Amino acid sequence: MDTILDIRNISKSFFRKAALTDVSITVKKGEIYGVMGPNGAGKTTLIRIINRIIEPDQGSVRFDGDIMTDSDLSKIGYLPEERGLYRSMTVYNHAMFLARLRGLNKKDAEAKINDWFDAFDIQDWRKKRIEELSKGMAQKIQFICTVLHEPNLLILDEPFSGFDPVNVELIKKELIHMRSKGKTIILSTHNMKSVEEICDRAVLINESRKITEGSITELQDARKLGLYAVRFRGNMIAFVNALWTGFEVERKEVLGDDRFLMHLKMRSDRQFDDLLRVLIGQVSIEAAWEVKPSMQDVFIGLVSPVE
Amino acid sequence: MNNSWHIASREFRERIGSRSYVLFSIFGPLVLLGFVYLLFLAGDVPEQRWKVLISDKAGIMENKIFTSGDKAVTYSFVDDYVDHDEFADAKKFQEFDALLEINEKILSNKIAFVFYREEPSTSMQMRVRYHCERRLEEVIAQELYDMPVQKYRKIKTPIGFSFRDVYDPYGMAADLKGWAGFFFGALIFVFIFLFGMTILRSVVREKSNRIVEVLLASVSPNQLMTGKIIGIGMSAFLQFTIWITIVSSGLYLMRETVFPDVRDASNVEMMITEDDASQQEQFFGSMEYNEFVDLVYERMQFSNTLGFFFVFFIAGYLFYGAFFAAIGSTMGSESDGQQFVIPIILLLCFALYSGYYALHYPDAPLSKWLHYLPFTSPVVVMVKLAQGYEPGHAYELYVALLILLAGAFAMLGIAGRLYKNGILQFGHRLQLRHLIKWLRRS
Repeated sequence: MDTILDIRNISKSFFRKAALTDVSITVKKGEIYGVMGPNGAGKTTLIRIINRIIEPDQGSVRFDGDIMTDSDLSKIGYLPEERGLYRSMTVYNHAMFLARLRGLNKKDAEAKINDWFDAFDIQDWRKKRIEELSKGMAQKIQFICTVLHEPNLLILDEPFSGFDPVNVELIKKELIHMRSKGKTIILSTHNMKSVEEICDRAVLINESRKITEGSITELQDARKLGLYAVRFRGNMIAFVNALWTGFEVERKEVLGDDRFLMHLKMRSDRQFDDLLRVLIGQVSIEAAWEVKPSMQDVFIGLVSPVE
Repeated sequence: MNNSWHIASREFRERIGSRSYVLFSIFGPLVLLGFVYLLFLAGDVPEQRWKVLISDKAGIMENKIFTSGDKAVTYSFVDDYVDHDEFADAKKFQEFDALLEINEKILSNKIAFVFYREEPSTSMQMRVRYHCERRLEEVIAQELYDMPVQKYRKIKTPIGFSFRDVYDPYGMAADLKGWAGFFFGALIFVFIFLFGMTILRSVVREKSNRIVEVLLASVSPNQLMTGKIIGIGMSAFLQFTIWITIVSSGLYLMRETVFPDVRDASNVEMMITEDDASQQEQFFGSMEYNEFVDLVYERMQFSNTLGFFFVFFIAGYLFYGAFFAAIGSTMGSESDGQQFVIPIILLLCFALYSGYYALHYPDAPLSKWLHYLPFTSPVVVMVKLAQGYEPGHAYELYVALLILLAGAFAMLGIAGRLYKNGILQFGHRLQLRHLIKWLRRS
């Protein structure tokens, strides 16, 4: 997969306080890339540097293979975390204004606005003033204004904050749809569930430095504890006898009607196949899987101080 | 530049779409016209009674003048040359209110000088002009052309009467024209302040509702600031134009109806057909205008003044507008940074005072400096322009304009740096050290 964004050794400080220290990331075309980190980690600074809102003290940003210039901004859509709208403007005028700023001519802008207003079923809002809209409605407009010019790279800073669950799903669906059309999306969020659900790869930044970067599976694998889960029906004594000394029970959960959920760890060089082999015939296995840490666990595990 | 234009046109449309803008554009000039009308009416000088000494060494008027029983003015003749300085100071002339100087060249150059102690009303000027002109017309018709005076009056060249203050015959002291220039300069600064504050509020609002970050992902801070200043400036310029159109139309209508031109010979001839004292009294009484009427309709060179007025307004607006934009961009919240607006207001007040100073001391060295200083030049130049540049010194006006334009661009550069570094800083309490740091940062 080609690289759309290549950030190399970026450093930035404000009044001698480091906001980013030697951060390098690569974002591939057609992926949803998560940027994770606690508050004040440097995520917004990184995003502002990508958008050329601020300049790095050191390092370079390459867009589509070349050093990024102002002309590349028309290929980027940016939805900041704290976004605003001109309250006295009408929905249509606002969308038109931002579309023109992003380089669309009037005719194209008109067509795109119509398409997106249809897609979100908001044609009735065209002449409404922004101040007449609810928060959720305004956020829809903000999202539409971000994607109106069909950017190749979409940068969304906390895009789900403030949305109700229905609209969160709507936005997620739209992002997945855009990825399927070859668009690249950078998603900065605290919502780890969303990262797990829709991101292909992610980076974790903490205290101005990059902690880790990789695919979601890689990130989870790096933090897994060798834990396996088995849900079965049968006799608990038979289950324990079957395990004998090769496995260690970590947690037991009684589900009722002779059904149990057991969490186990392997001893020595035992594998998942060995576990299944000893259990088959002893109990009725309903499900068995390797327990991976959630992205929430990965996040907390990486940013929490070691005790 | 294209993006700056989009920003500017959005600002422009937002301003002109607001109700307050429309109201101020229409009712502002109407209120001003109302004040002008009241000034024209209320400022009338009381009816004057004058004793005029006619210095006629050549005996051109032959000690004759026809007042047709007009009691408002009496004439005395002296067959000698009286210097205006002597007239001003000599005890024997103190009983006279004015000296009319008739020299031997008057028949050819048709210019007469009237030196007065107290400024005459328009009506009094008309009386003196009318009485003397009629006598001189008789002399000219008889001696130069040998034709009946009625016939000569139809083909005559009017005699120019120059009214001068005997204590300031060369018009060195601040006169009304200078005040009119000061008024124009003050108007520039009022508009700069009003629209400067609009820039500041607009920048702060964009900061506080965070739309600025969305904009900055498409336009550079400099483009954003320039677009904003230009857009709001365009709305100010439009409002100015509306004001000028309404005020000048109103003044024209007043001239045509309430305050007709009494110096227009045809008006006088039409209204006074014979030497009838009561008719004269009625006519001159109705023409009892005050000096403001004279100033507005006769002495101001509006075409010239208005042209430079717009140029200096634009340059001055860019200069100060950059200040306001910079302060707005560096404020941490809507209520923050007010203390930094005060120095700008003080600067504006200083500029107004400079105009006042230049009005009273036009030739003082400090006035020269203030004339070129970009902070003060818009108002000082307006005063100087109204007073009139000395022959051969008109280049000073263009030098002041060039300095102001250079200052405006320098200020835009400085403000651009503050804007760029301050626009995305939120929640702080603005201090001088912030401004210094952001100025030093590239």
